[in-house]
Amino acid sequence: MIENGIVDITPGLVAIGAGLAVGLAGIGSGMAEKDIGAAAVGAITEDMSLFGKALMFTVLPETIVIFGLVISILCIFVM
Amino acid sequence: MFNRSGRAGNYAYAVSRVKAKKALLLKDEDYNKMLLMSVPEISRYISESGYQKEMTDLAGRLEGMDLVEHATYTNMAKVFSSILQASQGELKGMVQAYLEKWDIWNLKVILRGKSYGLDPEGIREDLVPAGSLDSESLEKLLSLDSVEDIIANYDKMEHITIPQDVISTYKSTGNLGEIEDYLDKAHYVRLVKSINPTSRPTRMFQDYVRTEIDIKNLETILKLKAEGIHGEVVMKYIIPGGRQIDTRYATQLANAETIAAASSDLSRLEFYDSIKGLVESDKVSIREVVTEMKKYEIAAANKFSHMYPLSVVPIIDYMIHKEIEVSNIRTISRGVESGLDADTIKGLLVIRWRSQ
Repeated sequence: MIENGIVDITPGLVAIGAGLAVGLAGIGSGMAEKDIGAAAVGAITEDMSLFGKALMFTVLPETIVIFGLVISILCIFVM
Repeated sequence: MFNRSGRAGNYAYAVSRVKAKKALLLKDEDYNKMLLMSVPEISRYISESGYQKEMTDLAGRLEGMDLVEHATYTNMAKVFSSILQASQGELKGMVQAYLEKWDIWNLKVILRGKSYGLDPEGIREDLVPAGSLDSESLEKLLSLDSVEDIIANYDKMEHITIPQDVISTYKSTGNLGEIEDYLDKAHYVRLVKSINPTSRPTRMFQDYVRTEIDIKNLETILKLKAEGIHGEVVMKYIIPGGRQIDTRYATQLANAETIAAASSDLSRLEFYDSIKGLVESDKVSIREVVTEMKKYEIAAANKFSHMYPLSVVPIIDYMIHKEIEVSNIRTISRGVESGLDADTIKGLLVIRWRSQ
């Protein structure tokens, strides 16, 4: 956006911030899920009845992405 | 980052599989129940506690004690192979090095069988394919006739070199003892070397293995002393790399003429408290001392298994417990078959009874 020859980079910075919030949270939860997922598959291999519990533990770190998503929504629509 | 974690090993996957397997192991109360059963009842009981497939497969051609022995060994071999297959990276290297003892066991069985002229069928019955040698490699070794050919092929498979002088001693005396001793020593040396002690859990694993070497060495020293052998001859059988018993200490213990004379030197050992009463008594029972040392070993394994959940230690802990379970089942079955009373059999089991 250019007004009187001055470039306003605020919307761009907000967009980058929103992107980082979701992206970094996604990488974080991915790293957390890597070990939990491997352990869950290991447990299910031995005992199929653990499928429900294992699935629940695997998706728990997804909440971190939701925090990131909330922050990015706040960035774009509130700021 | 991901490559590095791949090389380090898939600890999360392997450990959770092992933890699930550990939940199926027999408990103290199961052993208590088994002590009151006959051999067929024990067979039925263990087939309901994880040995069902092997018991069913073998029930057609075996029965009684033979069935229990073969089913438990087959099950253990299958479980250990599955752990080895499930491991990756440096974890696989450590598990493989730990399980090499079963390859050596198989090689010893084949060598002994061949030297006594047994047919391959009879030898195959006693193999425990729990190590890294698959059944194809074992079949290849079984198909060979001479001890030299078997050793040469095993050397290639396991990348180990048995020195010429050991083989020539065998040729001149016809005694396999030299080769077997060399293999046992080489196994422990390779196992200690395969563990990279850069992290706390691997250091714990290495300490555990080195304590096991101490226990083996002490067992050898005590057994030879009970036979009246001491001095230099004993040192020939000592495995290098022990944690507390180094060469100097081993020489000191070996030079003592009797067990009673060595008992004051033994007091330096960490596990001395658990064997004190037995070693200081007038008539030392080596079997009881060995059982007590095994109990000490299993207690040490129990202690470290909970400390580092994502490491090699829970896996090694499980393998130790599985081996002991198999040995306990066999002890109970053999004891019951020979008509021993429950208390005597209980004394032979490697279990930390709750009352203790």
